[in-house]
Amino acid sequence: MKAMLNKLARQPWIFSFAAALAVWLITIAHTGGQGAGAILTAALSFATFTIIVGLGQMMVITTGPGNVDLSIPATITLSGVVAMKVMDEDTGRLVIGVVAALGAASLVGVFNYALIRLLRIPPIIATLSSSFLILSTAISYGRGIRIKPPEPLAEFATARLVGIPVMSLAVLAISLMIGLVLARTLYGRSVLAVGQNSNAAWLAGLDVGRTRFVTYVLSALMAGVCGVLLSGFSRGAALNMGEEFLLASIATVVIGGTSVAGGRANVPGIWGAALFMYLLVTMLNTFGASAGVRLVLTGLMIIAVIVAAGGEEQR
Amino acid sequence: MLKKTLTCTIALAALLAAGSAMADTKDKKIALSNNYAGNSWRQAMLKSWDKVTKPAVEQGVVAAADAFTTSENQVTEQAAQIQNLILQGYNAIVINAASPDALNGVVKQACDAGIVVVSFDGIVTEPCAWRIAVDFAKMGESEIDYLVKKMPEGGNLLEIRGLAGVFVDDEISKGIHAGVDKNPQFKIVGSVHGDWAQEVAQKAVAGILPSLPDIKAVVTQGGDGYGAAQAFAAAGRPTPTIIMGNRQDELQWWKEQKDANGYETMSVSIAPGVSTLAFWVAQMILDGKDVPKDLTVPFLRIDQDTLEANLATTEKGGVANVEYTADDAAKVVAGK
Repeated sequence: MKAMLNKLARQPWIFSFAAALAVWLITIAHTGGQGAGAILTAALSFATFTIIVGLGQMMVITTGPGNVDLSIPATITLSGVVAMKVMDEDTGRLVIGVVAALGAASLVGVFNYALIRLLRIPPIIATLSSSFLILSTAISYGRGIRIKPPEPLAEFATARLVGIPVMSLAVLAISLMIGLVLARTLYGRSVLAVGQNSNAAWLAGLDVGRTRFVTYVLSALMAGVCGVLLSGFSRGAALNMGEEFLLASIATVVIGGTSVAGGRANVPGIWGAALFMYLLVTMLNTFGASAGVRLVLTGLMIIAVIVAAGGEEQR
Repeated sequence: MLKKTLTCTIALAALLAAGSAMADTKDKKIALSNNYAGNSWRQAMLKSWDKVTKPAVEQGVVAAADAFTTSENQVTEQAAQIQNLILQGYNAIVINAASPDALNGVVKQACDAGIVVVSFDGIVTEPCAWRIAVDFAKMGESEIDYLVKKMPEGGNLLEIRGLAGVFVDDEISKGIHAGVDKNPQFKIVGSVHGDWAQEVAQKAVAGILPSLPDIKAVVTQGGDGYGAAQAFAAAGRPTPTIIMGNRQDELQWWKEQKDANGYETMSVSIAPGVSTLAFWVAQMILDGKDVPKDLTVPFLRIDQDTLEANLATTEKGGVANVEYTADDAAKVVAGK
């Protein structure tokens, strides 16, 4: 039993879950137990979006130092706008809309990698500058227009099964798949190997370029999925819908125990971190903390969790 | 013969003088320096600018009226942009500023170069510039005034604020709190930041809602009412009176509720067309007219009976809007 607990305490993701649980308990202690279940349901709904983009960002960051995708917010907006415009409130065009949105998102991934590989621009600059291009495309294509999603999409995004958002179950399935891919497939193992040492991976005969290419496309694709679901959930796409996901996607990866230096991914940690971040804001809102206090506390608590999680396994 | 020529010359000179007085600004160039374009309000603002200034340029009222937007909503970037505009020789710069004081240095440079600077919406505090400001505090207080009339018995309020740290957010919130202080039957039981975005507001409201008692009304800052409505619906709670902020999606939702169950509320915000007011003010100053340094624009309020008319003229996904003509601007300058 003790050995098991010890082993559990060594998992880098346990801290984010513990923090999320603690924050939730403090919140309901403050409200006297009122709305305990409803807060969890809301947390699961909203954390889902952060988890989707967090998984994509995790894969990118895992491919090694310097790799990061800053175009996620713009891609979310683009895919949301494309989906809503192509669907145009017509249920019959739902599938075409999803395909178009995910297609546009994938193109972003291809474009990002082209900048990084062909023009040899560092990923942080490449994805940042491409995000300006993407957002401008979304603005000129959408012109700030908020079109409602077709009813089935909105229903799916907000549906619940005994209090659990259906969407979060779908994202759980995606998470399990990514976990499997990382542990069992050639591509997944290549991602880890390339992240640990790209030269060694290359010498071992792995295709470093292709691995990174697939990863950037995957990250953009996840952002695309997030954009489509988010515009269903909040009933319409808006030009600033992706804005808050830039920091959120990176923070969940780091808090979740994924190594920023690359080579080590952590899927459960993304869940813990996303729930923690949402519940943290909820707690501070419930306390009635002012915006300044809230930001300071958010920063301090994120640092605390990272320090706690990163205390071991430094090599 | 000589006398006749002289008379003719005088007449011609008089005519020319009159003509030039009318179009004194025909070779003046006006630039718009805008710090952000990433939401529907700013998009509408830029569109209004285009709509009003294009004909003005074609009719020769001014030589140019070009709009420039920075990509990153940052002070340094806008400062550099304004420096470029100074070098390009614009006669007037109309600014929607990223910060009320951080641009003062470059605004002073422009003034020193003899350029007329008119700031609006996001105003600058540098004394040499003109300010077209909105009384945001009064706007916040007007929400409480409306609620006092609608529900004299009072009740619990949820406040949705804007972007933390922005002047506008502080002002509107100050007005709301001042109104609540005067009417103690109302109580703000929760306050969240919605960043003027439906998604953010929805997320924040959904988070705090389970911990709150019954809410009678939601006081907002615009761009957040629709998201709040979604959050109440998702939580399965009765829809309170949500003050709207003139966005088309908010008005559309209000209209649907009104038709379905007689839902009543009001909507208040700034018309994005205030950019066109700034344009005419700049033109008047260039024309040598006497314009006070501090002007106030009225806000645009929509009520139960004006909802349909405003919804009909508001573009899908846009914001309820009014554009100003030169005459309207003259009225505002004269203090109505």
